[in-house]
Amino acid sequence: MREKKIDQDQKSENPTEALEEKSSRRSFLKGLSIGAAAVSASLVTGCVPDVGAATSEELKLRWQEFFKKNYRLMTQDEKDQTVARLERLASLRDGMELQIGTEPPVEQVLYGYAFNITRCEGFMECVSACINENNLDRKTNTQYIRIFEMEPGKLDPSEGNGNFYHEVPVENKFYMGTQCFHCENAPCIKACPTKATWREPDGIVVVDYDWCIGCRYCQAACPYYGRRFNWGESEVPKDEITQKQHYLGNRKRPMGKMEKCTFCIQRTRKGKLPACVEACPTGSRVFGNLLDPDSEIRYVLKHKKVFRMKEELGTEPKFWYFID
Amino acid sequence: MNTSPKKNFRTFIVDAIAWNLRGGIAFQLFRLLLLVFMGLGIYAYSYQARYGLSVTGMNDIVSWGFYISNFTFLVGVAAAAVMLILPAYVFHDPDFHRVVIIGEGVAVGALIMCLSFIMVDLGGPLQAWHLIPGIGIFNFPSSILAWDVLVLNGYLLLNALVPAYILYCHYMGRKADERKYRPFVFLSIFWAFSIHMVTAFLYQGLPARPFWNNPLLGPRFLASAFAAGPALIALILAAIHTFTSYKIDRSVFNKLRLIIVISAIINLIMLFSEIFKEFYFPTHHSSAAVYLFFGMDGHNSLVPWIWTSVCVNLAATLVLAFNPGKNNPKVLLPACVFLFVAIWMEKGIGLIVPGLIPSPLGEVVDYLPTWVELFVTLGIFSLGITVITWLVRTALIIEERYEK
Amino acid sequence: MKRWVHRTAGLLPTAFLLLLLILAGAQPGAASEKSFLDEVKAVNTPFDNRSVAQVLPVTQPTVLAKEDYQGGSFRVLARKQEIERFKCSSCHTDKEVRGKNALELTHGNVVVQHGREGNALSCIDCHHPEDRDALEDKKGRKIDFDHSYQLCGQCHFRQKRDWVGGAHGKRVENWAGDRVVYNCTTCHDPHSPKFEKRFPVIYAVPLN
Repeated sequence: MREKKIDQDQKSENPTEALEEKSSRRSFLKGLSIGAAAVSASLVTGCVPDVGAATSEELKLRWQEFFKKNYRLMTQDEKDQTVARLERLASLRDGMELQIGTEPPVEQVLYGYAFNITRCEGFMECVSACINENNLDRKTNTQYIRIFEMEPGKLDPSEGNGNFYHEVPVENKFYMGTQCFHCENAPCIKACPTKATWREPDGIVVVDYDWCIGCRYCQAACPYYGRRFNWGESEVPKDEITQKQHYLGNRKRPMGKMEKCTFCIQRTRKGKLPACVEACPTGSRVFGNLLDPDSEIRYVLKHKKVFRMKEELGTEPKFWYFID
Repeated sequence: MNTSPKKNFRTFIVDAIAWNLRGGIAFQLFRLLLLVFMGLGIYAYSYQARYGLSVTGMNDIVSWGFYISNFTFLVGVAAAAVMLILPAYVFHDPDFHRVVIIGEGVAVGALIMCLSFIMVDLGGPLQAWHLIPGIGIFNFPSSILAWDVLVLNGYLLLNALVPAYILYCHYMGRKADERKYRPFVFLSIFWAFSIHMVTAFLYQGLPARPFWNNPLLGPRFLASAFAAGPALIALILAAIHTFTSYKIDRSVFNKLRLIIVISAIINLIMLFSEIFKEFYFPTHHSSAAVYLFFGMDGHNSLVPWIWTSVCVNLAATLVLAFNPGKNNPKVLLPACVFLFVAIWMEKGIGLIVPGLIPSPLGEVVDYLPTWVELFVTLGIFSLGITVITWLVRTALIIEERYEK
Repeated sequence: MKRWVHRTAGLLPTAFLLLLLILAGAQPGAASEKSFLDEVKAVNTPFDNRSVAQVLPVTQPTVLAKEDYQGGSFRVLARKQEIERFKCSSCHTDKEVRGKNALELTHGNVVVQHGREGNALSCIDCHHPEDRDALEDKKGRKIDFDHSYQLCGQCHFRQKRDWVGGAHGKRVENWAGDRVVYNCTTCHDPHSPKFEKRFPVIYAVPLN
C-alpha cells in the first residue's frame, strides 16, 4: 500500500500538476467539511434545506434555541435570553420587530370566564379578533373559538351547527361559543409525556411550543376541541401580525407543535381583557379574577344560573355559560 | 465466511452481517425489493419533514391516523411472541423451544416498526430528546404515553438481549446458561401482557373519547393480539419450513392453531359485547360506533371497511375452529392470512379513526391516508420485515449449526 | 411443574405493585367531591386591582357612575361628546323652534323603534320637554345624558342591575385597574335599541 503511494508522488513531478492535486484534495476536504456542517445544520433546523439563505448568526441562535430547557424550569435570566434570541431570529428571518414578553402570573389571580348564551347573536367578532390578536394561521383558517348555532331544547354542540354563514341572529336559535376552557383538572396536562403543557398559577393552561414534541396526545385527551395543531408552517400577512407577544402566547408557533387559546396571556397579564371579550359587540363575554369576590365573574357565578360543558367529566373548566 | 477457528463477539457480528448479505437469487431479489420500498419510505418522510404533517390526511379532528393505527396493531403482534414463550418455557414444550427464537425475532421487528411509526407521527421528532429523564422531562407516572415509552423499550431490550445471549452462546458452541436468562424470560411473559395493556390504556384512559373509554379495550387488545400475532408467526414458520432447511414439526402448527382459535373466539365475544353496549340503547356516546358501522351525516367511508373486517374475521375464525381439512395447511394458512388482515383492519383504522370521529363537539369528517402516509408505512413495514429477516436468518443458521 | 408455579406466584406481588403505581398516577381528584370553587369562595379579601402593574388607564372620557357596584365606585364612558348636535339648548331655547321641515332636516335620522308598534315610546317619554339638555324619567327627575342608565333602568331594571354587577354590558379594555364600563347608549341606539341582523364577520371552514 505504501509503495503505491510513493509511486504516485513520484509521478506528479510537474509542479502545476502537483498544485492541482493538492488543491483538489484541499477542495475535497473543504467540501466534505461544508457538507458535514450543512448536514448538521439542516438536522438542527429540521431537515429544511434552505440553509443557503441562513446566516451564521441565525444558525447559532437556532442551535442555542434547540438545546434550551422547558420554560417552567428556566430562570428569569434564561427566559430573557430566549425571548431575545426569538426576537432577533424574527428580525433576521422576516424583518419583524417583535416584543416577546415573559410576564409572570399576577399574584392572587385566577382567571374565570363566563359566556351569556342569551346575548350572543352569532356575529363571530370574537373569532375574528382572536385570529388577529393571536397570529393564527390564515392558510388553514385556524380558529380557537367556535360558535355553534343551536336549536332551543338541546344543549349539546353536536346538535348544533358550527359552520353557519347567514344573517344572524336566526329567530328561535341561540348561539354558544367554545374555546379552551382552561380546566383546573385538565386531561391534556395529564396526558402530555414531556410536560410541555401545564397550568400556570393564574389558571391559564399554557403550552411551551419549543418543548412540545408534537405527539398530539393532548389533542386526543381534550373533551372540548380546545387544542389546535400546526400541521404546516403558519402564514400570517406581515402587516397583520400582532407585535406585542408573549412567549407562552401569541408568538409564531413552530411547525409541528400544539397551540391553543391562552386567555390572551400577552394582554391579561398586563391587566387587559382578552381580545374576544373586548371585541364582542353584544357584551356576551365576561372575564375576570375569580379570587376577587367583587369581580364581575364572581357576580355572574353568584347571581346567574351557570353551567359548564360536559361537567360530568370532572375536568373543572373555568368557563361558564349563563342565561340572562 | 470466517474460517479461522477463533470466534468472539466481533466475529459473531461480522458473521451475522455476512450471512445476511449472501443468499440465493430469490433472497437477494427479496432484499432488493425491501430496500426499494424503504427508499420510497425515506423519500416520502423527507417530504413530510419538509412540509409538515399537513401532507398527511390528518387534521385537527382526526389527529391520529394511519401511523398510529399501524402502531397500535403492531404492538399486539409484538406482544404475541409471549404465545410462543409461554409453551416453551412454562410448559416445557420441546417443539416450541425450537421456534421460540423466531417469535422473539418477530417481536423485535414489530417493536422497531412501532417505534418508527411513533417517530414519523411526531410533529417535532427532533425534540424527542425532551422525553429523556434528566436532560428532558418525563411525565411519569401521570402520562400513559410515558408508560408506553418505558414498557416498549423495556420489552425491546428483553426480546433483543435474551435471544442475543442465547444465540451468542450457541454460536460459540456452548450451552446457554438457563439460570442466567430464565428470570428475564419470565419477566418478558409478564411484560408482554403489560405492553399491550399499557398501549390500550393510552386510549382507554381518555374520557373525551367515549368510543375508547370502556374497560373492555385492554382485554380486547390482548385477545386480538393473541389471535393476529400467532397467525403471523404461523405464516412465518410455514415460510421458513418451506423455503429453508430448518424444519418445523406439524404439532407446532396444530398448537398454534388452538391458541389462535381461542383468542379469536374471545375477540369475537368481546366485539359482540361492545356492539351490544353501543347499539342496544344508543346514546350520544355511541355516535362514534354509529359512524363506524352505519355512517353519519352522509359520511360513510368506514362502513364497508368495518363490515368486511368483521365478516372476514368471523369466517376465518370459523374455518380455524372447525378445521375443515383436518389441519391441512392449504386451508389453515389462508385462514391465518385473512384473520391477520381482518384484525389489522379492525384494530388499526377501525379503532383509531372512529375514536376521533365525531369530534368532541360533534363534527363528522372523513379520513383517507395520503400517498405520503402510504409510502412511509410501506417503508416502515419493509424495515420491519428486513429486521425480522436479518434476525431470523442469523438465528436459524446458528441454531442449525448448534443442533448438529 | 412446581418451579413454574413458584415463578408465576412471584409475578403476582409485582403485578399488584404495578397496579398500585398506576392508581397512584391516576390521582383520583376528579372523582372526589372537592372542587377548586370551594377554595375560590373561601377567599374573602378583595383583590387590589391596582396591583396589576402594567395596566394602562382608559383614556376615553368617562364620568363617575352615580351608583356603586359590589367593588365600590366605577366609571362610565361619557356620551355627550358623541352626540352630534349637543348642546340641544343651542336650538331649543324658551321659544319654539320653527322652520320648514325642521324635524326631518335635523332629527330625520332618528327612527324610533323602542317598544312594540302602537305602544312604542315617543320622544317626550325620555327627553325633558323644557330642558332639552337633559332626559326626564317617569318620576319627573332630570337625568344627565352621561347617566342615561338611570333612565333606562327605570323600565329595564333587570338589565341595569346586571350591568352594575357586571353580567350585562362590557368593561372597557381592562379587567384590572379602575373599572370603566360601557354606557347603555354606547352599545344600544336609544331610539332603536335592538341590534340589527347582519352577516357574521367570519365563518368556520369545515375540515373536509
